[in-house]
Amino acid sequence: MSGKLQEVRLRVYRYDPSNGGRPRYDIFSVPVKKDTTVLSALLYVKEKLDPTLSIRFSCRMATCGSCGMMINGLPRLACYTLVSQLKSKTITVQPLNNFPVVKDLVADFTDFFGKHRAMKPYLLRIDTYEQEKSNISYRQTDEELLKYIQFAYCIRCGLCYAACPVVATDKRFPGPQALSQLYRYYIDSRDEGGGERLEVVSDSHGVLRCHFAGSCSQVCPKGVDPALAIQLLRRELLFGRRTG
Amino acid sequence: MSVRNPVVTALKTWLIPRRYGVMRWSYSLQRISGVAITLYFVLHIGETANVIGGSQVWSIPSYEYARQVWTETVEFLSNPFFDAGLAVLAFLIFFHTSNGVRLFLTHFGILLGKPHRPEYPYHPASMTKAQLTIFWVSILLAVAALLYSLNIFFKVILP
Ligand code: SF4
Ligand code: FES
Repeated sequence: MSGKLQEVRLRVYRYDPSNGGRPRYDIFSVPVKKDTTVLSALLYVKEKLDPTLSIRFSCRMATCGSCGMMINGLPRLACYTLVSQLKSKTITVQPLNNFPVVKDLVADFTDFFGKHRAMKPYLLRIDTYEQEKSNISYRQTDEELLKYIQFAYCIRCGLCYAACPVVATDKRFPGPQALSQLYRYYIDSRDEGGGERLEVVSDSHGVLRCHFAGSCSQVCPKGVDPALAIQLLRRELLFGRRTG
Repeated sequence: MSVRNPVVTALKTWLIPRRYGVMRWSYSLQRISGVAITLYFVLHIGETANVIGGSQVWSIPSYEYARQVWTETVEFLSNPFFDAGLAVLAFLIFFHTSNGVRLFLTHFGILLGKPHRPEYPYHPASMTKAQLTIFWVSILLAVAALLYSLNIFFKVILP
């Protein structure tokens, strides 16, 4: 594909709950260049062809995590996926798998964020005054930082959640995002949550439910590797230190 | 709000491992083989239990009875359909066992890479060369077991 305009066909999943609720696909022809992203192509549709199309986006630079969708069958960020890299004349876009659909390409993240929240994604300190009012700074070595920094890159886009075959079949499974965030705090040298953190995911729908399909790490746009965090978390649960 | 059919989703995620790389194939094969081996095990116990009288096992049946049931069972089972099934089962058992060792070791944190600062293009440290090797060795072993069994039943390779 050169710098010139070319046409691609966008096959877009449409669903409107107020309209009988039957999903369908609409096809739009969109002019694209070498550097057109799937998000720009969708915005072209919304501006020029069909203003009723619902999409969610904000930063357009793979930072806010709001434009995740299934693009040609894989969960990807629409703002981070070039039409030219897909190498196909027809591009199918659908809402993320494993999420309920609000409208068109907009998925409902209520459960997803609820699971994230259940992991207490903040530093826990035993001293309650320090927990609530602390303005102390905590020192950390490079080695201590390296244990969790990779997992702290998560932008909560939900792509891993959409790729996970266990989430697809077990609604109580917290999913790769939440579990990797649990490990991120558990292994942080400043955190004193210890065993209390592990308890949240120690039942049969928790971390042991992961079957290590690794799809989460394949699709993560930030290189977080949730599958690694989950395996390390499992090791902690099975053989690790039990404090707190 | 629409929720897509959960049964269809479950079957799709189990049976269509496309697009997510080798580990997704490993996941699907491990699950399918696990279910198949369990089913076979239950049927196998049921079938062989017939020989000693099934649920009547405590009132030990006569030798003639056992021999007759055994012969009938063997006759019923010796057809190409069951033979092919056993050959496929050999594939699944070898794969499940060998790939299971990989999964077992990762539970101990063995064969995993270390967390690091992500640099594009990303290479997940959860999937190391050592693990990939075990996966492909499992496939090789399973194919060898399949060919060996096919040869026993159908004499396809060696006379
Ligand atoms: S782990 Fe990766 S794919 Fe999952 S929510 Fe975080 S950034 Fe997105
Ligand atoms: S719009 Fe923010 S991640 Fe795509």
